[in-house]
Amino acid sequence: MSLANLLDEAGLTGRGGAAFATGIKVRAAHESGATLIVNACDGEVGAAKDGWVVAHHLPALIEGARLVTGGQPVRVAAKRGSRTLELLTRAGVDVLAIPNRYVSSEESALISLAQGGLARPLTKTVPFVRGQGRDGNDRPIPATVVLNAETVWRVAQIADRGPGWFRSQGTATEPGPRLVAIGGAVARPAVLEAAAGMPIRALLDHVGVATDAEYVGVGGLGGILLPRDTAGELLWSSTDLARFGGSVGPGVVTVHDPSECIVDTVDRLLTYAAGESAGQCGPCMFGLPAIATDWHALATGIEASTADSRLERRLAELPGRGACRFPDGIARFASSARTVLADHLTAHALGHCPTHPKERHVA
Amino acid sequence: MINELLWYLSRATGITSIALLTAVLLLGVVTSGRRRPVGERATILMGLHRWLSLGMVAFLGVHITTAIAETYVSIDWISALVPFTSAYSTAWVGLGTLAFDLVLAVVATSLLRQRIPERLWRRVHWGAYAMWPIALVHGLMLATSAEPILTAITIACGAVGAAGIAWRLSTGHADRDARRGALQGEWS
Repeated sequence: MSLANLLDEAGLTGRGGAAFATGIKVRAAHESGATLIVNACDGEVGAAKDGWVVAHHLPALIEGARLVTGGQPVRVAAKRGSRTLELLTRAGVDVLAIPNRYVSSEESALISLAQGGLARPLTKTVPFVRGQGRDGNDRPIPATVVLNAETVWRVAQIADRGPGWFRSQGTATEPGPRLVAIGGAVARPAVLEAAAGMPIRALLDHVGVATDAEYVGVGGLGGILLPRDTAGELLWSSTDLARFGGSVGPGVVTVHDPSECIVDTVDRLLTYAAGESAGQCGPCMFGLPAIATDWHALATGIEASTADSRLERRLAELPGRGACRFPDGIARFASSARTVLADHLTAHALGHCPTHPKERHVA
Repeated sequence: MINELLWYLSRATGITSIALLTAVLLLGVVTSGRRRPVGERATILMGLHRWLSLGMVAFLGVHITTAIAETYVSIDWISALVPFTSAYSTAWVGLGTLAFDLVLAVVATSLLRQRIPERLWRRVHWGAYAMWPIALVHGLMLATSAEPILTAITIACGAVGAAGIAWRLSTGHADRDARRGALQGEWS
């Protein structure tokens, strides 16, 4: 059986967050003789699993890459200055050093950088794996496939242990083991070998959550915000998380710091996001600063009701309009924060903050 | 007699072409950039820009044909297309030819706009900003020198066009500024 068929049978999907069927990509890569870029950037805020795979399973990762390309060149992308990059370089792997920007680890941004361009997302008119893609200057790009580091490691595991072993973990719709990085206000931040369908409470218990923590993020900056109690009742699966607009995504769970007002935390994250636009698509370069400004108005309580209706309208208009899914992710995160923190925001509009009740809230 | 008529016709269509070219340039300037009009006004201004430019080409055609046909000065067909080949006033006629070649390029790419890459059309269209001053100098240095009124018209065209370009350059462009801002910092 061919590798692609084996992966189809196992039901492996991309572990970078998009959850695209890996078998389809590998089949296309074989047909076009594509080179491979392994994405070990841990580009999502709070992500750590790519680095964990490199640190603990580098030989299997390289073997998986070899299986995918069948001898075509492989490069492993990691963030500049990261320990992951250092480990890869020390092991003699051909590396691609990625600038420390949020969107620079997006798959087409990696391709752009590998072709000598800037690490900014490209418009995807045709899949780059087919070899008919073009960069921003209309120059052809040779066939390239980008796979997440955990995905490539899973390929090697499936080839070794078979699809049956893989499907014995996870759920029917999200089969297989998957890594999750849990960090933030926890006693022991860790990358756990988990699977979809595990109770989120079990994951949180494993790392020791700060007792007064109230909010949990699932999926990082492109994910969702949940009250800790709500999260504790859910399974870590896209079926459960979809009710709140989320998914297992890139395998990130963040416990937010209880000492910082959660509205201010979101404010900080949205301000960061606004500064990470690559300045290519209007909805992103204007939309993200606009929603960050709206949120800041909500946080300070100045003309909060007009800011809120503006934010609602903008969040509905943002998704699906960029070359990459960055604005979609930020809109998802801001929407979930707006819903979950409705009461908290109302308090801010009235001039006080539930997190710091004794201080008069001044932004 | 015929020769005299051709000479005056050539002068007249030349100065008309310069006036029309300046009008087309101004219409182009106000319909590009950040402060451009929207809605019906944009449609009207854009339509004027296109149709006046084709009208200008008609006057230009007569200007060139008559300049070649009349025999006071010797300009041949080749020097209508290849710059700096005219025996008469090589430099200044050459500038006119250069401007005409640019007109041909701009018109041709505009007629083919739906079939060629937008970038190519845009880059060639930028050539209009070179073509216009070249045509002005050509006009100023040749036929209008003996006619104060023609000189005055050409200089007036230059002043009005320059004011339009200055207006365009002075406008901030939120889109361009945001793109430049985003490129600050590490991207490679």
